[in-house]
Amino acid sequence: MTNKFILNIILLLAATVVLFFANLFLGSVNLSFSDLHDSMASVIFYQIRLPKSFTAVFAGASLALCGMLMQALFRNPLAGPYVLGVSSGASLFVAIAIIIMNNSLMGLNYFLGKTLISMASVAGALLVTILILFVSKKTKNNITVLLVGIMLSQILGAFQGLIEFMASPNTLKSFVVWGMGSVSGTGMNDVMIMVPVCLLVFLACLFMAKPLNAILLNESYAQNLGINVNQLRTTVIIITAVLTGIITAFCGPIAFVGLSVPIACRLLFKTSDQLQQMVYCIFMGAIVLLVCDTLCQLLSNNFALPINTVTTLIGSPVVIYLLFRSKLIGQ
Amino acid sequence: MIELKNLHIGYKNGQISTTVFSNLNANFSKGELIGLVGNNGVGKSTLLKTIFGSIKPIKGQIILDNKNSSEFSFQEMAKRISVVLTDKIGGFNLTAFDVVASGRVPYLNAFGQLSEADRSIIENSLEQIGISALASKLIDELSDGQRQKVMIAKSLAQQTPVIVLDEPTAFLDHSSKLQLFKIIKQLCKEQNKTIIVSSHDLDMLFKNADKILYLKEEGAFEFEKPELIKNYFTS
Repeated sequence: MTNKFILNIILLLAATVVLFFANLFLGSVNLSFSDLHDSMASVIFYQIRLPKSFTAVFAGASLALCGMLMQALFRNPLAGPYVLGVSSGASLFVAIAIIIMNNSLMGLNYFLGKTLISMASVAGALLVTILILFVSKKTKNNITVLLVGIMLSQILGAFQGLIEFMASPNTLKSFVVWGMGSVSGTGMNDVMIMVPVCLLVFLACLFMAKPLNAILLNESYAQNLGINVNQLRTTVIIITAVLTGIITAFCGPIAFVGLSVPIACRLLFKTSDQLQQMVYCIFMGAIVLLVCDTLCQLLSNNFALPINTVTTLIGSPVVIYLLFRSKLIGQ
Repeated sequence: MIELKNLHIGYKNGQISTTVFSNLNANFSKGELIGLVGNNGVGKSTLLKTIFGSIKPIKGQIILDNKNSSEFSFQEMAKRISVVLTDKIGGFNLTAFDVVASGRVPYLNAFGQLSEADRSIIENSLEQIGISALASKLIDELSDGQRQKVMIAKSLAQQTPVIVLDEPTAFLDHSSKLQLFKIIKQLCKEQNKTIIVSSHDLDMLFKNADKILYLKEEGAFEFEKPELIKNYFTS
């Protein structure tokens, strides 16, 4: 651990805390601490703002971490859960789960319903991650893998479109809104599921720093350095599927955070140590999504903008910039 | 040090196995520089991969430290044989120092953080190869010759008695080749390492190797001193 790393973490932690509170108190109704005695304000605070801010922190951190893990595993700076279709896989499975539940499992209890949706979401994410891994073993070309991922999300999107077409108007609207991504659809109950799962996975990831450092060279070198590459691959796939799945179940498919945050961290902090990179990504992911969500709230008066409009506006220029700097892509 | 015993090498894909070369017998001693020659596709890379444990032998054994090498775990192999491969590496902010530092991976704890002792081993390795000045440079910015030196320094930091190099001179100009072989030879003689080098650069190997393993097209092989192997190529 270097002093520079510790200093950076203190700064990032401070920024996260400040933005967390800004996100809590700013919005269509600006709150202050003294308002919390008021019953209306305290309902907004505890039932809407607090779960939303927590969701922004953990969704951002998780997606950034997933992107970082996928980029290291595929040694492809353009990898991420959204661009490679993992989020789409999760979305499609959630849509299917919702349809089935609406038709046959009405009146399911809240926790069981959420758990089923989360599990469907994880399964969808897992399926796509395994497919992408298979493709990346067939071709060494990063751009091919990216294009296959984009095509895959189109295919999954088409199926989802079909389901939406057949859905009732009410279900349709909730699908469409959900598909735009949002961190405000969660209650304190959801946060209680999401936060412990995320924290547990974050902690587990820190133990993967050594194999991740080795695999940056390539898989043959990593194996020669004593790393069990198959085991690492399986672990990364399960972790990204669980995190992307859970986050997508609660927030919908959030675009570009998983792709652009790890890239930004590499450019900003200039370290190749994957332990540091992981911690940076967790904080920066939280910061980016807090900022995006606060912008969503501030830019419109009566309603919050869908978060994907903001993340896409920030994220896609990053990808275009990278495509023009081929050195960073390695092909 | 290393003994190939009735070794059959090749690839297994599920139930089907394709043998590339069969019945190899050879013995590599400490401090020897072994050259591996043969035409493209004859099985040089497959043999090297089998030796460092990336693929399993189809039949036969590789004896390493008086033990069948397939009994070693990844971790144990990592402390015995290090490799320099043909694959180009780069990106991810990797500096020359980082790449050499990866040689310490088999010795690190779960978080992969370097100790002071690890750092001095890395600095020492950089110095021995004469690339201390490149330490903080990004790998992407180095020339092919410099990259190759970095990879050899990585092998040094890995502190293995055996080093395997797969076509290390492939992208190098003449003076870089000379430098590289000088370094390799030094490591054999001064540090008593067994180094196995596959190459199409016959002149370099004839000049520097202690023994040469020549894999022939028809599935036969010769394992002799360079002077004798030379006869097969001068007709």
